[in-house]
Amino acid sequence: MRRARLDVLRDWRFWLLAIAGLSLVVALVMPRLTLTRQARDLLLVIDVTGSMNVRDYIEGGEPVSRLATAKRAARALLAELPCQSRLGLAIFTERRSFLLFEPAEVCENFAAMDGAIDTIDWRMAWEGDSYVARGLHSALAIADSLPADLVFLTDGQEAPPLAGGELPAYEGEPGKVTGLLVGVGAAEPSPIPKYNEDGREIGFYAEQDVPQENRSGPPPADAPSRAGWNPRNAPWGGEPATGTEHLSAMREEALRRLAAQTGLGFAALRDPAALSAAVEADTRAHPVEVRVDISGIPAGLALLALTALFGLGALTGRRPERLPA
Amino acid sequence: MWRRMTADWGFDHPLLLALLLLAILPFIASAFVRRGIPTLGLAPADGVSRAVSLGLRLAGALAILAIVLGLAGLHRREQVIARQGTGAHLVLLLDRSSSMDNSFADRAPSGDQEAKSVVAKRLLDDFVARRARDRIGVAAFSTSPMPVLPLTDHHEVVRAAIAAIDRPGLAFTDVGRGLALALSSFAEDTDEASRAILLVSDGAALIDRRVQETLRDAVARTPVHLYWLFLRSRGAKGIFEAPPPGENTPQANPERHLHLFFQSLGVPYRAFEATSPQAVEQAIAEIDRQETRPITYVERVPRRDLARLAFAVAAAALALLLLAKLAERSLVRPASATAAAGREPVLRRAA
Repeated sequence: MRRARLDVLRDWRFWLLAIAGLSLVVALVMPRLTLTRQARDLLLVIDVTGSMNVRDYIEGGEPVSRLATAKRAARALLAELPCQSRLGLAIFTERRSFLLFEPAEVCENFAAMDGAIDTIDWRMAWEGDSYVARGLHSALAIADSLPADLVFLTDGQEAPPLAGGELPAYEGEPGKVTGLLVGVGAAEPSPIPKYNEDGREIGFYAEQDVPQENRSGPPPADAPSRAGWNPRNAPWGGEPATGTEHLSAMREEALRRLAAQTGLGFAALRDPAALSAAVEADTRAHPVEVRVDISGIPAGLALLALTALFGLGALTGRRPERLPA
Repeated sequence: MWRRMTADWGFDHPLLLALLLLAILPFIASAFVRRGIPTLGLAPADGVSRAVSLGLRLAGALAILAIVLGLAGLHRREQVIARQGTGAHLVLLLDRSSSMDNSFADRAPSGDQEAKSVVAKRLLDDFVARRARDRIGVAAFSTSPMPVLPLTDHHEVVRAAIAAIDRPGLAFTDVGRGLALALSSFAEDTDEASRAILLVSDGAALIDRRVQETLRDAVARTPVHLYWLFLRSRGAKGIFEAPPPGENTPQANPERHLHLFFQSLGVPYRAFEATSPQAVEQAIAEIDRQETRPITYVERVPRRDLARLAFAVAAAALALLLLAKLAERSLVRPASATAAAGREPVLRRAA
């Protein structure tokens, strides 16, 4: 009897079976592992001003607007955020950011948040102006009060243009709110679609439809050299300003300056699916505990052992061993 | 049938199911040592042996099947059970104009006075917390209407949207287009439930005649219950008392005329004029009491993971194989043990 048992112990098949059985027992009794994941609290602000209607992204061969691309990127980001992350949503137009909802947990409320991002529309804009720098400053104030990290998607088109190209002063403390300024749009200028009051598209903005120069505040230093300049009657020169403000490109240089002023990171949005990587790099993560089932690892080992057992059995041929003497 | 199965059951990693093919292996190979015997006559075919042989092969296949199913993450999906209860499909239409940031005395809030938006926020939050079974959507309006949240069962995000209403508001009050937006929130809502819009505002503005007609159309298509919680500031004109003749124009009394317009819509409508935080509280309690018609609401049964169960089945099948393996005996016996061995059905593999 003892001899027979030893025979079994010398057989590799027995050992493979034993490994498989043991692995399964381990899989059954293994407690769920508590892992820490990197969750984030984000405030997502989407620019809904008119220049976001510029169609300078190509998707499946069709031109799509900056706003549609920004929304797609935002939805992809929402889907990528690990559970227990929190996301709030705001829109920017005129000179402020307008909070739609405060950050809430993303997994439980996914459908509602996804729907909320999807319904964002340029028609929600209450004013045609686009003071991006001020909008960003107000978004930073909101993010600071929540608190959350900021992800601000904009094309950086200031309308009217900044007076003398100077950024308005930032009153907050740069770097207090971490986050990311995302530049939406292509580097080449494109015409901006124009809509009538019923929201129908009626062509594009022409040069004289938009302010080409900011004429509030003191005139620039070079004004006396302009044609028709008169210190009292025509302090900005006698001719209407010309320029390319009716065409819109993503103002990368201006956005980088703005990011530097406020201590945010900057990323240009080329691929909507890549936003979450940029957000991960520039926002703070806080560890949250999630319980993960890792019983698959020993169970996989069991499967491997069984496959090896039966596979080797099949490969070693069907010929019986030598006949007993 | 298949659709029903896939609706109820699912796999986290369906690609792993390709490994199910491995379950053929136990029918090709065996866990036992093959041995030659001089003649088939030594082990005549018998039913019990065949059954044991087949049983052990099946056990091997079952073990592999169960492990693969477990690895692929077999689970019963989250189930929704429809139940009858009381509640409503509700859209909160919130005024985000800057006048909401003033107190009821129409001043910047100071001391123990609260801004109207702060009062509305606190009370609406309580209201939502009490109405666990409602599907709630949120829309806001000020200078332009803004969809905030589609109808949802998840109230955490609704309360996050309510928490945002005491942020500084915008300039104007475009009630008409806000209401059109709130009505359109029900467009995809095909349920038979009672639908209600709760408008919270502290003022009104003229509604454009064209918008008025759009609203009448929309209300005819989507009958709703309309509640207007009018946060009346001190000195503002009331909506119930008719003003003296000569002043009764929509321009002078937009709130009163909005009230008349709502009454003319032909849907159940109630207005509450709240002049203090306590009055707001009473009005919300009243709405809470009114909106208690039957509603089919869904209760979630959370997803159930069956991986461990699958591993347990695999372990049981494997235990059977192990037992059989331990009972395996070599045909070659030491010379001292000449006694006739008991029949070992397991050894009939060679046959």
